[in-house]
Amino acid sequence: MAVARPVFLLAAILRNPGAIELSKNGLQTDYERTASRCEQMIRVQAFRIRRYICGMIMAFLVSGCSSHRDWHVDEVAGHLPDLEFILTADDGNATTAKAYGGYVLLMYFGFTGCKAECPVSMARLAHVMQLLGDSADRVRILFVTLDPEHDAPPVLHRYIAQFDPERTVGLTGSAGDIQSLTKRYRAAYRPRSGVGNTRINHGDAVYIFDSQGHARLLATSSHPDEDVAEDIRRLLKSGI
Amino acid sequence: MDLLHWFIPWEESPTLVVLISAVAFLYSRGCARNKPEFRRKAAFWIGLASIYLASHTQLDYYAEHQFFIHRLQHVVLHHLGPFLIVLSRPLPLLASGMPEKWGEIFAAAGRWRPAALAARVLWNPFVAVALFAGLIAFWLLPPIHFIAMIDWRLYRFMNWSVIASGLLFWGLVLNRHSLFSINLSPWARIAMMLAVVPPQIVLGAIIFFSSRELYTVYTICGRAIGGLSAIGDQQIGGIILWIHGAMMSMAGILIVVRRELVSEKLLATRLPG
Repeated sequence: MAVARPVFLLAAILRNPGAIELSKNGLQTDYERTASRCEQMIRVQAFRIRRYICGMIMAFLVSGCSSHRDWHVDEVAGHLPDLEFILTADDGNATTAKAYGGYVLLMYFGFTGCKAECPVSMARLAHVMQLLGDSADRVRILFVTLDPEHDAPPVLHRYIAQFDPERTVGLTGSAGDIQSLTKRYRAAYRPRSGVGNTRINHGDAVYIFDSQGHARLLATSSHPDEDVAEDIRRLLKSGI
Repeated sequence: MDLLHWFIPWEESPTLVVLISAVAFLYSRGCARNKPEFRRKAAFWIGLASIYLASHTQLDYYAEHQFFIHRLQHVVLHHLGPFLIVLSRPLPLLASGMPEKWGEIFAAAGRWRPAALAARVLWNPFVAVALFAGLIAFWLLPPIHFIAMIDWRLYRFMNWSVIASGLLFWGLVLNRHSLFSINLSPWARIAMMLAVVPPQIVLGAIIFFSSRELYTVYTICGRAIGGLSAIGDQQIGGIILWIHGAMMSMAGILIVVRRELVSEKLLATRLPG
């Protein structure tokens, strides 16, 4: 096929750029030497770029193959960074992500003044914990407030008591701390928009981390509780 | 809210800062040596500044969290910014602003066979049209869009890829060229600009008329602007894609017609009368 020739040529060059290089004779002028040095540099750079592009294509293929077949909820392994934070827990003590090593974590961003989505999502998570039965002891829910000015540790403590108090941790901190965590996980949070506390926009995502703190799954309100529980059970089985 | 706050980058990208300042530095040196017309300089600076402002300020937060603002950001990165930069024909000025050593490196790069061949493949009219329209479609495939918005590395790669593809495409169609010995007639270039219009209209229409949410990532991670439904956001995004594609192509075609197809004689006779 004549149309495909440039593509084949390009593929051949990408595979072996040396093959079409001009042969260099013994006598070189200064100018040619500079030029060949430059070519050398460009070739090294081109190799790196090619490797990067190949890596990107591989990442696409891998994510395309694995995301929708195996898990019920959205898989994000490799796309979101590992869990990291320094915040204040609802008992008033400072805490970090390391304190929850060994647990499968379900992280949700919300605020106690939220009347619609947050109570529903938290009740759903409590239901998922019930479905998990005994395995739920190796799972923790992290409720991160998006309204740190209002949600002091005691307020959070009272709020989470309504759902699954033993296995839920309320987290708060400065607006900056919260923002760096939401930014890390691409969750919408705008402390400076100043529209008022009742109109905080927030997402629907439950970020699920394995026991090593790697981001693995994203569950939303569109996924049935049974599916979320099944995926968590699978994570628990594989993650030790 | 103070105005300066808006200029703080939402996510810092040293690559972008270094590249844009290097280009700005070379261009201003080239300007100092050659004194180009004001119009050319204005087009270049507005184009460069629009790329910087669209991708390295607080606007980026809204682009990450609202579909229609993401589309607006891509209008700037893929169409408007590269269009204006190319319109100003900056290559001779950039080259004259360069230290001589760099000039040699670029000359060597241009002679390097794979580079020349790659340019010939990329600037093949069919490849250029397919790449320009295909890239828009590729990043808008729902599963691809999902991970591109979640993964910051892919997000940056996406934005860089549209800037590069914009520069390649508009660079090929707007100006008369002799770079890499590629010469296309004005008619061929007008045909190319027309060819990228239908894919964008079809894509925009598909997104606009879709009754279900195609891009769930904005609901999952939260939207930046409250009070706008998921479908509403999607429809505005679809309309933007639908209209702006045709708009930029028409602007490009008018420019090519005015520059190359209207004969000088005609202009000369019409201007005094």
